[in-house]
Amino acid sequence: MGNGVQNSFLIFITFITATTVFSGEYSVKKTWFGDPDLQGVWTNASLTTLERPDHFKTLEITDEAAEYAKKASEEMTENLDNPYGQGETPESGGDVGGYNVAWMDPGNDFIRLNGKYRSSIITYPENGKLPRRLTRWAIEGPSIYRMFTRADHPEERSLGERCIVGFGSSGGPPMLNVLYNNHYQIVQSPGYVMIMVEMNHDARIVRLNSEHNPNEMRPWLGDSIGWWEGETLVVKTKNHHPQQKFRAAIRHQILMMEGAEVTERFTRTSENEILYEFEVDDKKAYRDVWKGEMPLRATDEKIYEYACHEGNYAMANILAGARAEENQ
Amino acid sequence: MRNSFLKTFTSLVGTYFLFQSIILADEIPIGPNGKPNLNGVWQVMNRANFNLEAHSASAAMQLVEGPVVPLPHPDILALGSVGSVPAGLSVVVGDTIPYKKNALKKRNQNREDWLNRDPEIKCYLPGVPRATYMPYAFQIFHSEEAVFFAYEYAGATRNIYLDYPGEPPVDSWMGQSWGYWEGNTFVIEAKGFNNQTWLDRSGNYHTENLKVTERYTLLNDHVMDYEALIEDEEIFTRPWKIKMNLYKKVGDDAQLQQFKCVEFVEELIYGEWRAK
Repeated sequence: MGNGVQNSFLIFITFITATTVFSGEYSVKKTWFGDPDLQGVWTNASLTTLERPDHFKTLEITDEAAEYAKKASEEMTENLDNPYGQGETPESGGDVGGYNVAWMDPGNDFIRLNGKYRSSIITYPENGKLPRRLTRWAIEGPSIYRMFTRADHPEERSLGERCIVGFGSSGGPPMLNVLYNNHYQIVQSPGYVMIMVEMNHDARIVRLNSEHNPNEMRPWLGDSIGWWEGETLVVKTKNHHPQQKFRAAIRHQILMMEGAEVTERFTRTSENEILYEFEVDDKKAYRDVWKGEMPLRATDEKIYEYACHEGNYAMANILAGARAEENQ
Repeated sequence: MRNSFLKTFTSLVGTYFLFQSIILADEIPIGPNGKPNLNGVWQVMNRANFNLEAHSASAAMQLVEGPVVPLPHPDILALGSVGSVPAGLSVVVGDTIPYKKNALKKRNQNREDWLNRDPEIKCYLPGVPRATYMPYAFQIFHSEEAVFFAYEYAGATRNIYLDYPGEPPVDSWMGQSWGYWEGNTFVIEAKGFNNQTWLDRSGNYHTENLKVTERYTLLNDHVMDYEALIEDEEIFTRPWKIKMNLYKKVGDDAQLQQFKCVEFVEELIYGEWRAK
């Protein structure tokens, strides 16, 4: 290589480097087989809920409003840990409560995107609410009611209680934050992106540049195929499991009817963040599509085994308790 | 003369291509960091999950005394030949598992009470090494920075730490796994197990002192040698080893299916408390 060529090459490299640095654009690392690298352990724990609470009027909220809401959340957590006040205990026969905060991982901040706090995960419709088709929700109402009030049969209870998949739509798609166990591990291999959902140790395997399996196959977490659009992983999921029709958690309740399609987009925006966007198209349960976005944040925390079914004494006790009550 | 030359030439060319194909068949695909590529959907083709030790075919996993020969336990009877057990060679190096005397007694009791005691029947997580040789596939995701196993059975998963993670902070069903390369062999040291999983359907078991050292060695693009050294000094007189082949699925078969069996055992586990 002559000196002239060498100098031109150096100038070119300097220009590229300077452009990258000054433009502030993040250059996504590539895997050993050349795909953009999404790998790592991520969390979507956040105080921001799927739908916008009524006291917020806009998607983006001020720092002051977010701080105020955070304080309210901290107070609620304190009350959960000490419902009778610091050091106080309930009287005999009183309610001892359920989980305390040691069991929870609800996040301690609101979603922040483009430097602004968010009041909801939903970005469309613009009011931040699910565009529910009320007739459908009314039809599904009785089984939803039974899920929380009846203990006749294990199959009536929620999937989280049954230890089949995580509460709500933790495993997704769309993958939504819940009260605890909000971690995901992504590992890539040629032709696949594997997303391990902490709750309930579910490996969602996205087949790249593939076709959907026959409609007769309706796996838990649906049938996901994907492809790359530039540095964005696009995942399309359909054929959701019929028993995953209603997904309930404290922080969200959604319907996902037969025929629903979910499109997700994963874009790594920095070493520590993936922008996770989704669109739900379910004409049976909603009047319109609905869209959302949130960051998946990198974490150094380890994911421990979420063995649920193996120690599910609660299900036996819920059913046995109901039978005992009937016999009184 | 000309015919003889042609025959010799054809024979030499044939031998050359045969030799080439053998070499190609034995080529080991290279993966991340220049190491053998473990990616793929793998499964055994043996009977180890029925019994790690050599066994003849039999009528059922649990038998009761019969007028002439043992009969299937009444709870299995309706399954007919579907509930019977196919024969299998031993995958135990040295053929038998070196139990201590009392531990062998417990293994035999487990076997006699298989229906109540085998965690597989209740769809509990399989543990290690049993997850490897169950009659279900598993997929290895192998990249520069992670190795992850996803098992079809019960949706079990296993993250293999590539940096030493320290002592397991808590016992678990699938244990804690630390993996590293020794030449072209991927070695996994797994420990931190509880004492709830079994090694097969024949009552072979372990305690929470179990340590399993697995060795995964690609023989070619489609076959992997699997060895597991099993140490549990509480019940075995010495460490012992199992050894078998893993086969890689190809084409349309190379897709891990889902067998989340929890919902299939709800009637078995909770049925007695249903509303009448």
